Amino acid sequence: MNVNVIIPLPVVLPLLGAGACLVFGRSARAQRLISFGVLSAVVVIAAVLLVRADTDGPQVVHLGAWPAELGISLVADRLSALMLLVSTVVTLCVLAYSLGQGVIEFGRDTPLSVYFPTFLVLSAGVSNAFLSGDLFNLFVGFEVLLSASYVLITLGGTGPRVRAGTTYVVVSLLSSMLFLIAIAATYAAVGTVNMADVAQRMDSVPPGVQLVLQLLLLTAFSIKAAVFPLSAWLPDSYPTAPAPVTAVFAGLLTKVGVYAIIRTQTLLFPDSPLSDFLLWAALLTMVVGILGAVAQSDIKRLLSFTLVSHIGYMIFGIALASELGLTGAIFYVVHHITIQTTLFLVTGLIEVRGGSTSLDRLGGLARSAPLLAVMFFVPAMNLGGIPPFSGFLGKVALVQGGIDRAGWLSTLVVAGSIVTSLLTLYAIAKTWNRAFWQPAPEDLDDLDHRWSSGTKSGERWGSVDALSNLTKLPTAMVVPTLVLVVLGSSLTLVAGPLYGVSERSATELMERTPYISAVLTDDTDAGDDPSTAGGE
Amino acid sequence: MLLLVAIHLVAAAVAPALTRLMDRRAFLVLALVPAGSLAWILAQTSTVTGPDARAVEQVTPWVPALDLELAFSLGTLSWFLAVLVTGVGALVLVYCAWYFRPGDPEIWRFSAVLTGFAGSMLGLVLSEDFLLLFVFWELTTVFSYLLVGHNPERKANRRAAMNALIVTTFGGLAMLVGIIVLGQRVGTYRIADIVAAEPSGAAVTAAIALILVGAVSKSALVPFHFWLPGAMAAPTPVSAYLHAAAMVKAGIFLVALLAPAFADTPLWRPSLLVLGVLTMLVGGLRALRQHDVKLLLAYGTVSQLGFLMAIVGLGTRNAALAGVAMICAHALFKAALFMVVGIVDRSCGTRDLRQLTGLARRMPVLLVVTVLAAASMAGIPPLTGFVAKETVFAAFEEVARTGDGTGLPSWAGWLVLAGLVVGSLLTVAYSLRFVWGVFADKDGAELPREPDAIPAGFLAPAAVLAVLSLVVGFLGRPWTTLVEGYSTAFPAGEHEEYLALWHGFELPLLLSAVAVAGGVVLHLQRYRTEVLQAQFTRLPDAERGYQWGMRGVDRLAVEVTGATQRGSLPLYLGTIVLALVLVPGFALVRQFDGLGDVVAWQHPAQAVVAVIMAVAAIAAVRSRKRLKAVILVGVAGYGMAVMFVLHGAPDLGLTQVLVETVTLVIFLLVLRRLPAYFSDRPLTIARWWRVAIGVAAGVAVGGFALAASGARTLPPVSEAFAREAYDFGGGENVVNVTLVDIRAWDTMGELSVLVVAATGVASLIFLITGRTGRVRPDEAIDHPSRWLRAGRTLSEERRSVVFEIVTRLVFHMIMVFSLFLVFSGHNEPGGGFAGGLIAGLALMVRYLAGGRHELDEAAPVDAGHLLGLGLVIATLSALAPLAFGGEVLQSAVVDGTLPVLGYVKLVTSLFFDFGVYLVVVGLMLDVLRSLGGGIDRGAEAEAEDDDPSSVPDAAPAEGIS
Repeated sequence: MNVNVIIPLPVVLPLLGAGACLVFGRSARAQRLISFGVLSAVVVIAAVLLVRADTDGPQVVHLGAWPAELGISLVADRLSALMLLVSTVVTLCVLAYSLGQGVIEFGRDTPLSVYFPTFLVLSAGVSNAFLSGDLFNLFVGFEVLLSASYVLITLGGTGPRVRAGTTYVVVSLLSSMLFLIAIAATYAAVGTVNMADVAQRMDSVPPGVQLVLQLLLLTAFSIKAAVFPLSAWLPDSYPTAPAPVTAVFAGLLTKVGVYAIIRTQTLLFPDSPLSDFLLWAALLTMVVGILGAVAQSDIKRLLSFTLVSHIGYMIFGIALASELGLTGAIFYVVHHITIQTTLFLVTGLIEVRGGSTSLDRLGGLARSAPLLAVMFFVPAMNLGGIPPFSGFLGKVALVQGGIDRAGWLSTLVVAGSIVTSLLTLYAIAKTWNRAFWQPAPEDLDDLDHRWSSGTKSGERWGSVDALSNLTKLPTAMVVPTLVLVVLGSSLTLVAGPLYGVSERSATELMERTPYISAVLTDDTDAGDDPSTAGGE
Repeated sequence: MLLLVAIHLVAAAVAPALTRLMDRRAFLVLALVPAGSLAWILAQTSTVTGPDARAVEQVTPWVPALDLELAFSLGTLSWFLAVLVTGVGALVLVYCAWYFRPGDPEIWRFSAVLTGFAGSMLGLVLSEDFLLLFVFWELTTVFSYLLVGHNPERKANRRAAMNALIVTTFGGLAMLVGIIVLGQRVGTYRIADIVAAEPSGAAVTAAIALILVGAVSKSALVPFHFWLPGAMAAPTPVSAYLHAAAMVKAGIFLVALLAPAFADTPLWRPSLLVLGVLTMLVGGLRALRQHDVKLLLAYGTVSQLGFLMAIVGLGTRNAALAGVAMICAHALFKAALFMVVGIVDRSCGTRDLRQLTGLARRMPVLLVVTVLAAASMAGIPPLTGFVAKETVFAAFEEVARTGDGTGLPSWAGWLVLAGLVVGSLLTVAYSLRFVWGVFADKDGAELPREPDAIPAGFLAPAAVLAVLSLVVGFLGRPWTTLVEGYSTAFPAGEHEEYLALWHGFELPLLLSAVAVAGGVVLHLQRYRTEVLQAQFTRLPDAERGYQWGMRGVDRLAVEVTGATQRGSLPLYLGTIVLALVLVPGFALVRQFDGLGDVVAWQHPAQAVVAVIMAVAAIAAVRSRKRLKAVILVGVAGYGMAVMFVLHGAPDLGLTQVLVETVTLVIFLLVLRRLPAYFSDRPLTIARWWRVAIGVAAGVAVGGFALAASGARTLPPVSEAFAREAYDFGGGENVVNVTLVDIRAWDTMGELSVLVVAATGVASLIFLITGRTGRVRPDEAIDHPSRWLRAGRTLSEERRSVVFEIVTRLVFHMIMVFSLFLVFSGHNEPGGGFAGGLIAGLALMVRYLAGGRHELDEAAPVDAGHLLGLGLVIATLSALAPLAFGGEVLQSAVVDGTLPVLGYVKLVTSLFFDFGVYLVVVGLMLDVLRSLGGGIDRGAEAEAEDDDPSSVPDAAPAEGIS
């Protein structure tokens, strides 16, 4: 049996788990076991895939044993496998965190147990998007993760969440529609949706039409990746969701969009890097985003803006269209998934501890919650690009790439990225100064303000009493957060190998042939002629 | 050397535990770490210093992709800095063991951060990789931020910490760009290699300028100087270490490091000399008007840093010697003086020289220590400061006389020298002010409390430094030799300087005398100078400039965010659609060259249907009533179904009709709870904008379709589908085989979408109505007769018994038919999806006929279980082929003859299709239960709560409008 049969498992297993969770809907214990077990297994699989992809080149499976041109292929090349591994590790940690939170759904009398199956489906969708070698199936992956996210973002059904959810759902539906239009146009032009095949056939399309297709795809993905000016929806919709939900969204969803941009740009349109156009987009995304962060006084909103802003770094790397730029972008994606998720989880802990995420209400946490302070400070400095953390390392490659590409525009973007870095640090230092250093505002009537704490960022789910009076943080929430903090920091230690993989990924992407030939030339065992192999 | 740095960081990590264990004595243990490092560094002295110095290197790979290595090197210059960093570091840690009060609850943090800083600073001076140097550079900034904010209760302290962080990081980031420009140009980040390569050109000049910005901001030169006095908010050991001996020297160190290669770069000398002298004067003048003796020292440090920068930036052999000497001298006396301030502060409870009085008598030992250090600062023989300063003057005299290879005009040399002499004069004055301020008897001054006795250990570190300030002054010759490893990197001048107490009666000695005499005069006239200085407080102030700038950033942030983040969904959607029209649309227009062969329609009926759809769509948008809009959208949907049929796809047509029907009914169920009319229309202008954007988007998308399909030259893969579907997929219905086999993976994904949608809708509705959707034994229908008992719950006027009975009669038939569709779907129109929808419609009819209790009667199962089971069956049947050595989702044909049924051909993808069926039925059940039954119940509850006569339909829904 071919080892590649494990490639579909990161999608199938979570779906199976989601189904099982629904079947065992009444047993919280069973649901936890299933979810945790499934995602742990997926992490292992993803690790195996990364090792294989890195040593043996892109791993391909033709689902249903249909030939690549007809059926759907899943491809785990270095980029996919790396994204898959990072995303599943982060997802697992977030799941553990929400297990620790405990009150997710069983505090309320919901008709169906919603959280775990939906969370698993989200994970399946993300994995599918990373693994898919088929443009339409990529769309399906997006749909899967988006529909799960629609449910998660409105979890609890409070007014602010439903309002934020409306923005999110409507914008996402529109972006999906654009994506679908782009796929339809691509199919109309080349007659296939298998990406490797599309890449080959694209040469037959006149350059003008190629550009139309490229920009269509880019527009659709840019909404999902939150590239300015298509990013305004994000800070309005993310912050109200429950902490683990925001965390996993912030970590993964935009990055799926970035992944899709990288994949389609490099595979389908290698000769049209659109550098100048993307450089402008990167610059505006970075600068406008970070100015948004500076203007905020709520940690969750602030982090949402930094999220948008730092998408600009990844676009910067893609825009450079050089090996170094792509390397930097890939590394930055890994960094950003980890760190942004961590920070949102920590913010969840801050909310538990301080009763709010508003900087006007918080204070004195450095003294009253030293562990929390460390858990915030380290990833926050990481995000702020302070060396030796990964945020800095990612930036170095991007700046190196930007300097290598002569011309005033890339110099301008380098300057913009530096300003963004400084302003990120400024925003973070402001947060630190106010939430952790500044003495807490008079706790006039403690209970009262804790009750109303949810006004800005949505009410907490579950019973408010249960959480708000905690002076000691629940260990089950702290441990997964701590694991992520340590993971994020240890990116520094493994920066050498990680950059190695990123660099080899970038090389592979620029070459294109490994991907295309792996998909289109059938291996020995997947190559049965369909007309002769009617069954087993 | 990596090990040394690592040990520091490990020590920092265990420091909190150590302080918990030993309280403040833990500092003594921690002091062993820098002390041990010092020992190692001293052991390397003979190798790395002297005339034939040779750097000790150590390289460990880190991130090869970035040319970032853990490369360390101990050369002559870094030897001096490393000795200072570790030596002063050890002494400061010892000092801390007395500075803090026993049981201080904050020292766990402080000890960790300070030790971490010591490690970073050591790493900085030992770095051989330029990027690595930057890593430590920024680490020191961050540690400094934490240390300055050690007592964060005061707003001024928090702000000072923030200022220091932002200003130095600003410079640091500029420097990073400079480093990368240099590194990318030279092709290496090894500092020695970059210096050896001596690159030049416009890019290099820019890079050097950026690096200098970093150095100048770190070393608190004008115009960045203001962060340093602010940083005095830190505990005094921090001031002694970071803000006198170590961190602020980083900029000086960097300039000294690069000077051999880049001193001739345009901008280098002019900027450093001007800023250096200016800083020296500004700092000295400011120091003279301080009352807080710690601030006095801080401004003194600013002044001295300017002095140092001017020397090391000069870039001659003599200046190199003088610079290193001055760096050492400054570290010794300034750290000692800060320690004195800390001792006085701790013992008397004040640092204000208007309160301090009479300490000379009470603390004679401290006085001696202070006088030694301050005399060194003032440049009084025979102290180290004097020796160093003499050499500085000599170096500049040489430049003024001969140029000394710098290319500076003579007048510039004299001007700088004059500036430095005036600066030294100020230094003498504020040195006197310091000693006078702390120790002298003053009329009217009164100590806030009786001074405590000073423990010997508290005083010892300062005493060691003061004595060293004295001793080193006598060691001019060996000292000169030590420095040669660095100074010989510069071209030899005409006149070789050396460090000594006595050079004979030459110009430098005269200048020193002038400075001392002038300083004494200035001190004696101190009241007059204070009054004079008070006149000039309104001069442009760098700190005010900085605050103004930051406020500007804040305001800009608010403005930009206000403009881009409107919180309006229509605006966001408009932006997206506009982007679609402008970006791909622009490309579309650019490639447009005539329409080509456009086939308007294959059948005239298509045109008719298209017109109907378009009219319905436009009318839907114009509609003010929700119901009307929904029905019109439905018309467009049915039109699509007709289109499918006209294209020869009955299967798609069937599915589309079913989906459209289900959607319509669901919409109607929801509309019961929504207002009949849409909210107010937007203003006319906005409406026209929307129309324009909408039309443009429609045209653009049409254009995309036209352009794309016009570009096709290759046959589409779908042409092979029909044959392959039969040969390999075992089915005649291509659509079904595509769904459950060729592209079953897509279907599986979409199945999960359905499951999630169902659970999501249910969870929202039941959260809002506050009920659960679980099936429970229902008292409402508890009736002896089972026949039509659920219908009895409806009120008489809403009940239609005929409808109920007919429904009952056809229900089972429809259910069987739906299953039939699943089984026949592989060859005939049908399939799991269509079958599921039909079963769902059957349930829907039951609900419409008999209400929610009737629905429970028809399907007494939990929708969640159906959904889950369906997903499990689908995924398991996807995985099952793995057990037989196939690929995921691979199908097989099993045929044979069964009794009764006869010949049966079974394709294994049927199981998958059955999963689809279950999920769709589950979805329908869930939606009916939540949007139908759930809303009913909510409405009934409200009707009971409010007025029994109110009509449930009119009640507005919350949340989802």
